[in-house]
Amino acid sequence: MNQQTPQIPVVRMEHITKHFPGVLANDDVSLELYPGQVLALLGENGAGKSTLMNMLVGLYRPDGGSIYIRGELADIHSPQDSMALGVGMIHQEFMLVGNMTVAENIVLGMRDLPFVPKIDEIRARITELSKRYGLQVDPDAVIHDLSVGEQQRVEILKLVYRGADILILDEPTAVLTPGESRDLNKIIKKMLSEGKSAIFITHKMDEVIEFSHKVQVLRKGKTVNTCDTAGVTPQDLANMMVGRDILFSLDRCAYNPGGVKLKVDHVTVVNPIGSRPFLDDVSLEIHRGEIIGIAGVAGNGQTQLTEAITGLLHCTSGKILIDGKDMTNSTPLQVIRAGVSHIPADRGANGVVGDMSVGDNLAMKKYRTSEISRGAVIKRSFLRAFADKLIEAFVIKTPDQDTCVKFLSGGNIQKTILAREIDSCGGVLIAVYPSRGLDVGATEAVRQNLILQRDKGNAVLLVSEELDELQMVADKIAVMFEGRIMGIRDVKETNTEELGMMMAGAAGVRRNA
Amino acid sequence: MKKLSVLLVLLLLSTTLMFAQGGKEAAPAADEPFKVGVIYITSPGDMGYSYMHDQGTKAAEAYFGDKIEVIRMENVPENDASARAMEQLIDAGAKIVFANSYNYQDYMLQVAKENPDVYFEHCSGYLSNENMSNYFGRMYQMRYLSGMIAAKMSPSGKLGYVGAFNTPEVVRGINAFALGARAVNPKATTTVVWTNTWYDPSLERQGAIALLDQGIDVIAQHQDTTEPAKAAIERGKYAVGYNADFRSVVGSDNVLVSPMWDWGNYMIPAIESAMNGTWKSQAYWGGLEDKMVHLSPISPLVPKDFQDVVMAKQAEIANGTWDVFWGPLKDNTGAVRQQAGGKLADDKMLTMDWFVEGVIGSVK
Amino acid sequence: MRIVVEKRDNKSKSAAVLIPLASFAISLILGAIVLLASRSNPLQAYSAMLDGAFGNARRFQYTIVESIPLLMCGLGVGVAFRLKFWNIGAEGQYVWGAIGITWVMQFWKFLPVPMLLPIGLLVGMTLGAVWAGVPGYLKAQWSVDETLTTLMLNYVAIGLAEYLYISAWKAPLGNMGTPEFPHEAWLPPVWGKIHSGLYIALAFVVLLWFLLYKTRWGFELNMIGKNPRAARYQGVSIKRNIVLAMLLSGAICGLAGSMNTAAIAHRLTKGVDGGYGFTGIIIAWMAGLNPFASILVAIVMAALTTGADALQIAMKLPESMGEVLQGLVLIPLLAGSIFVEHKLKVIKKEAA
Repeated sequence: MNQQTPQIPVVRMEHITKHFPGVLANDDVSLELYPGQVLALLGENGAGKSTLMNMLVGLYRPDGGSIYIRGELADIHSPQDSMALGVGMIHQEFMLVGNMTVAENIVLGMRDLPFVPKIDEIRARITELSKRYGLQVDPDAVIHDLSVGEQQRVEILKLVYRGADILILDEPTAVLTPGESRDLNKIIKKMLSEGKSAIFITHKMDEVIEFSHKVQVLRKGKTVNTCDTAGVTPQDLANMMVGRDILFSLDRCAYNPGGVKLKVDHVTVVNPIGSRPFLDDVSLEIHRGEIIGIAGVAGNGQTQLTEAITGLLHCTSGKILIDGKDMTNSTPLQVIRAGVSHIPADRGANGVVGDMSVGDNLAMKKYRTSEISRGAVIKRSFLRAFADKLIEAFVIKTPDQDTCVKFLSGGNIQKTILAREIDSCGGVLIAVYPSRGLDVGATEAVRQNLILQRDKGNAVLLVSEELDELQMVADKIAVMFEGRIMGIRDVKETNTEELGMMMAGAAGVRRNA
Repeated sequence: MKKLSVLLVLLLLSTTLMFAQGGKEAAPAADEPFKVGVIYITSPGDMGYSYMHDQGTKAAEAYFGDKIEVIRMENVPENDASARAMEQLIDAGAKIVFANSYNYQDYMLQVAKENPDVYFEHCSGYLSNENMSNYFGRMYQMRYLSGMIAAKMSPSGKLGYVGAFNTPEVVRGINAFALGARAVNPKATTTVVWTNTWYDPSLERQGAIALLDQGIDVIAQHQDTTEPAKAAIERGKYAVGYNADFRSVVGSDNVLVSPMWDWGNYMIPAIESAMNGTWKSQAYWGGLEDKMVHLSPISPLVPKDFQDVVMAKQAEIANGTWDVFWGPLKDNTGAVRQQAGGKLADDKMLTMDWFVEGVIGSVK
Repeated sequence: MRIVVEKRDNKSKSAAVLIPLASFAISLILGAIVLLASRSNPLQAYSAMLDGAFGNARRFQYTIVESIPLLMCGLGVGVAFRLKFWNIGAEGQYVWGAIGITWVMQFWKFLPVPMLLPIGLLVGMTLGAVWAGVPGYLKAQWSVDETLTTLMLNYVAIGLAEYLYISAWKAPLGNMGTPEFPHEAWLPPVWGKIHSGLYIALAFVVLLWFLLYKTRWGFELNMIGKNPRAARYQGVSIKRNIVLAMLLSGAICGLAGSMNTAAIAHRLTKGVDGGYGFTGIIIAWMAGLNPFASILVAIVMAALTTGADALQIAMKLPESMGEVLQGLVLIPLLAGSIFVEHKLKVIKKEAA
């Protein structure tokens, strides 16, 4: 118990228990949040952090336990109920209507909105609030046109506008650039100074230390530890999370690249609705036994590069060669047959079919082969054996292979994709933000697997926004900015400063000059 | 889902068996009423064709009292549902089945062949069997008289006719109407629109409006709703009704006259012969003299002396000294269809697919 | 106190069975209220309907005959629905099937008579497939909304059929119908009224079940239906599969039309647009796109139609009452399906 804060907690959750089919998501978890505080909720994927918070905002109902808001027993059945109590949550997936304006999104769904809203008053209030907390957004901008960071600010404004003083943020920095993360920290500090409080779901240890006053660590649905942030080290936190020491350096063979496997040759992809092309004369070579990392702030053409290679996006000009064979504008299937595996960004939307079973999802590449099918017919017994093999090999935590993938935690969904793509990999592995949103354990597994593929002689393309990850995993790093490659550096011959400059678009200028 | 399916199948089967057992009919008692099945294309509430048929059915009910029981089925579509309806009626004990629309005939013939101990009466078609008759009335006679009145009352001589389908029955009615009109005004024209429905209030109204927009001032119709007539009256023009007496239904003297049916006069003897075993297959086509058709009272707007002219013509038809399709007859392309000195044979009338002079429009 | 709808955490298996049964019970009660209001004994009315649909061999046969085109159309649209492609053009595809077989029977005089039926069925299938393939291609190539195209194409097909039987292909004698097909080319009966289309329909149930649940293609359709983006990332061609699924969907609906024409009307005639294509949508939906479950649903829907005849005969109720009761059965069943995934919760407000 914190001696400096003798007030009653604004949020008190007591002995919360929640079952899902085959999973005990929360097991007798208690939690306290005091005014003016930030509580970090730390844990691996599937540890039960989001579930706990979803119960606080009424998306789920606890099977047991009780919730007190400002000392009073609360009966929360819906986000509207929680909002009425001043509790609001920002989810990982933003809940904004893309083709409406900021102001419209902020007031959308408010119950006490008059039939004809007074848009001027709303706009004035938004402007006032954004000044007060440093949340710069144009109330008349359309959501489509905003960056991810700006959209997050709209989400925060939405809550503040409705009078929330207890904010729950689920992995808020996962989609932000380092600069945007710093801004977010400032915004939160400003809010705390006005008596608001926040719960911060994360699995990044440095953020815990930077943002929070108190940290509560969950593992497998149970509270492992609760302590003041001051005085803990990232290593302590990591050990609490996974219950074992984390290897922060990864084993790998010596860098000994083979011949060119994948060649991207002056590829340009025009953006039909934007002025700037998605890809602007991009050239890149990946050798066998090599990991090329692509660095850059999200939205600078990294995903488009991978989509152009995998046949998902039409190249306007230029060539893509695999083993010297021209694969430009081949169909996705032709690219897959050429041996290219792809771990896409946004795994829930692109990587898996949530309503199909783990087994089916694992088979989504190999179902075409004799490993699973006989002619046009899928052999269920083959598929089951195949899926069981991968579940075991990649340690996918699932009640059984018939469970729908959507019921798995983010990390296990990613392991499912990883298992499928690595198993079917025929020489090229493309991984886009593969560790985004994953906990330490799962991240380590992903990285180790990428290196394993490299060591086996495959060509690996890793897109990441975390420089640490790239520096740890990649052999060479290419930095992308506004659809162009600003430069390619050997990991050993560069540093964070230079890469950061290139990410901001400076390097190309310097190099060309 | 699997469990549910099994459960439902069991439920279905068990109830089926139950009814298969319980549904067996007891042997008909001697004093049980003679069952008559009637199938209508629309609901008798249409105030049109099926309404007039139901008037005939009611006349039969009144005539026979307790001795018959009528089972009606309405809104029966002209596809295999009609065959099913006939079978259902037979199942329910019907010994004679009437059906009142043209496209039932193929299904009725099929059912008739499979049920030789039931009598079938098909209205408006041409097929028959040992146990199946077809019957109809010479409505064209009344159409002729209504055409005379329409032409008399039309200042412009431009008449319009909203037709349902291009069946011989409808074509014949249009021709008779146009001939009647030309008898009064040799320059009268009759413009035809097809709706391709028997019963579609809005479409039929649109058809009438299209005609009225061309400056036509009397609308006649072969449809089962009163909409064409109403559209004409709303514009202050005249209408000629059909089936029922539109003047009393619509409540306007602008309805000049309505050719009407008297189905009871056929149904009563048909049922009687079926009851006493003297029923014979026939192709019946009764006219004015058989009281199958008649004219409604004529609107007071029509001059009294002209009404007398119409009545005189009616008397000629009734006593058989004259008929509508009397030669010489030319079609509207100028080809001669009937020489002078004779009348068009019945079989030619029953397959009529051409328009007489004075009709603007095409049968196709 | 208030009542809220909450999503179930997991799909309840017992709910999947109990909810349709409860919905059915509710619809019976609703129907009973309507029947009472029109001074009829509901129990008598319901037993009359059951009797009318299954009461003797002939009624049973008629119910089965009615269910055959319903089942085929349900199967057909079900294929497209798997892709979340809303083919509501089954009616038009059915009509094309009828037109196709009539074309063969009436004009392909060079064929020997025994070949007329098989070739006619094939041509009907093909025309149905083409009629469905057009909106499929438009959707795949230019993302043209399929609900609108398939719906509008129904009216084009029905209008064309009308033109053919009223004018262009009209039998010389008679009206609103083409000449009768040669007797040798009718679809032969198997038991009383039931024609051999039953075998074709059941064969398609098995075929589709195999195709959708056992083959690679079925696996791909499942992926596309549940997450088209992920399917594309896995190398599955969405455009190609939309067109293929629509061709199959239209072929089945077209075959339904040519089969029924060869079995019952034996000519293209008024009444060809009997609404089977539209009812097929309800069948596919209520059967959860499962081919085997479609058999049961098609029989239930057919029984509602044939049973409604009995309301007029035994109860002397107007025909419209049958339609009211059919509607009352559907609404709770369709509305009830949301409770398979959601539940109602009554919240008692505690004193604040």
